[in-house]
Amino acid sequence: MKTLPVRRLLIVLLLSWSLGPLLWQLYTSFSTNEALITPFANIDHRWTLNHYKDVLTGNPPFWRYLINSLIVGTGSTILTLCIATPAAYAITRSRGTITNVAQTMLIVAALFPYVLLFLALLEVARSLHLGNHLLALTIPYAALSQPLAILLLSAAFRDLPIDLEDAARLEGLGLWSRLRWVLIPLIAPATASTAILVFLFAWNEYPIALTWLSDSSLLTLPVAMARIAGSSIYSVPYGAYAAATVLGSIPLIALVLIFQKSIVSGLTSGAVKG
Amino acid sequence: MSLKLNNLGRRIDGRWILRHLDLEIQNGECLALVGASGCGKSTTLRIIAGLDQADEGSITIDGTDVTSTAAVDRKVGMVFQSYALFPHLSVAANLELGLKVRGVAPSERQQRVRQVLQLVQLEERASQKPAQLSGGQRQRVALARALLRDPLVYLLDEPMSNLDAQLREELRPELRRLVLRDQKPVIYVTHDQHEAMAIADRIAVLKDGQIEQVANPIELYKHPASLYVAEFIGRPQINVLPPEQGVIKAIRPEALKLQAGGIACELLHREWLGASQIWQLDSRLGPLRMHVGSEQTVPESIQVSWAPEQEHRFNARSGKRLTA
Repeated sequence: MKTLPVRRLLIVLLLSWSLGPLLWQLYTSFSTNEALITPFANIDHRWTLNHYKDVLTGNPPFWRYLINSLIVGTGSTILTLCIATPAAYAITRSRGTITNVAQTMLIVAALFPYVLLFLALLEVARSLHLGNHLLALTIPYAALSQPLAILLLSAAFRDLPIDLEDAARLEGLGLWSRLRWVLIPLIAPATASTAILVFLFAWNEYPIALTWLSDSSLLTLPVAMARIAGSSIYSVPYGAYAAATVLGSIPLIALVLIFQKSIVSGLTSGAVKG
Repeated sequence: MSLKLNNLGRRIDGRWILRHLDLEIQNGECLALVGASGCGKSTTLRIIAGLDQADEGSITIDGTDVTSTAAVDRKVGMVFQSYALFPHLSVAANLELGLKVRGVAPSERQQRVRQVLQLVQLEERASQKPAQLSGGQRQRVALARALLRDPLVYLLDEPMSNLDAQLREELRPELRRLVLRDQKPVIYVTHDQHEAMAIADRIAVLKDGQIEQVANPIELYKHPASLYVAEFIGRPQINVLPPEQGVIKAIRPEALKLQAGGIACELLHREWLGASQIWQLDSRLGPLRMHVGSEQTVPESIQVSWAPEQEHRFNARSGKRLTA
């Protein structure tokens, strides 16, 4: 019983530590500039929607960046899953030296700091004329996401009882049917969490987006926000920046809330045990 | 028309886990494959189903060599120990999936699923998920799925080992009736000799990947081909006497009789089975088990003997049965 208040206190501390900056951003985004400079003064106009108005009516308007990021994020996620799912399946089902080597390489690749690659990638983009194409960004993003995605998905495939696939095979289901009707539906929770991680990466990625895109109507969120923050060397538009941050977080929060259900639901419960 | 295994063998890492397996199972016959765990009985089923490849020998179904046919095309109905029902699909969808993939028209699919659910008495469970069913019900769904496959051969891999003893006893006749309905060869794998005796027409005893003996239950019990079979089949277990001049004698517990002048024994323990009882005895030949009627009282001095024709004699080195 004594541990309860301590635990509550710890939870409160943890929550304020992780949510504090977000709430501060939210507060900032609705505050007038005067209120931000003199937080304790008694001002008539403390609250405002002007920051949002400025951000949304800018040129190009902010929702443009949101859409750009959504396109890049969705495209990267789909491309990643389309490649990683069969790759993960193959790695789980085949044995031998090549598979072992491939798995080790994947772990090495997953640990490799990708920022070291971006200059080389820029050269590649230049010679292939991939600059200033939104969907071209999905190629490096999907590639960089492969190691993690394959590791997560192959763990999910490995967790499936082998009897299930054998039973499907005896039912006359070929490889494609087995994946389509049995295996992919059963690893849906792992697919959902992988998708979120890939989407988050694409949503937040900065160096590649910064170097591959220069057309201001094609920018993704992180690059666009950096431009807002650094738009003037004399003053930082805190309010507008905060408003952009809030707007940029909404899709992510929505995504997690939507996918949470499929992550939580234990799809494999009762699969084999009597 | 039958299932024929010719000299079947499988090797893993250079070691034969199954070797020289010859079996023929007729249509409408149920053969039980028994043996200790790891003796190769499940491997045999998996090779017949095409889930594992044979390294030697061949499999013929109805005269067609299927040794290199893919599992997908082999037309076997298998019931797994784990049932292996698809957890994300309802009972009806579990049954329908195979039909759908094999190109059966929707109306016919529904009709056949309804029929088979009726057969296994699960009509009202059609829309439920496997997780909502009891162990016995899941087992029946797995069986229904095998039935819908219209298989040439039925393979049952310990289909009842996850069920409790009472349910097993209840389901046994039903299971036998259902799988033998369309007169196909049935292989029933179990580690339980009692279950094998109860359900099978013939029993094959496997030891270390090789067949020790194939015979009907009575033959197996009365004339075990080796000491291993004698010990494996029959409960309470057969009494094995210490070897004498290269010969091991074994006597069934019910063959022991109380007789003055026999071997003197001491009663260690009495087990009541209801209609009969088992006496655990100690003697100069080691511990003995004796199966006697329930009305038998314990005499002051226990002396047991047996008729010479009740004696099973085995070669002490090879364990093989000695004739005459």
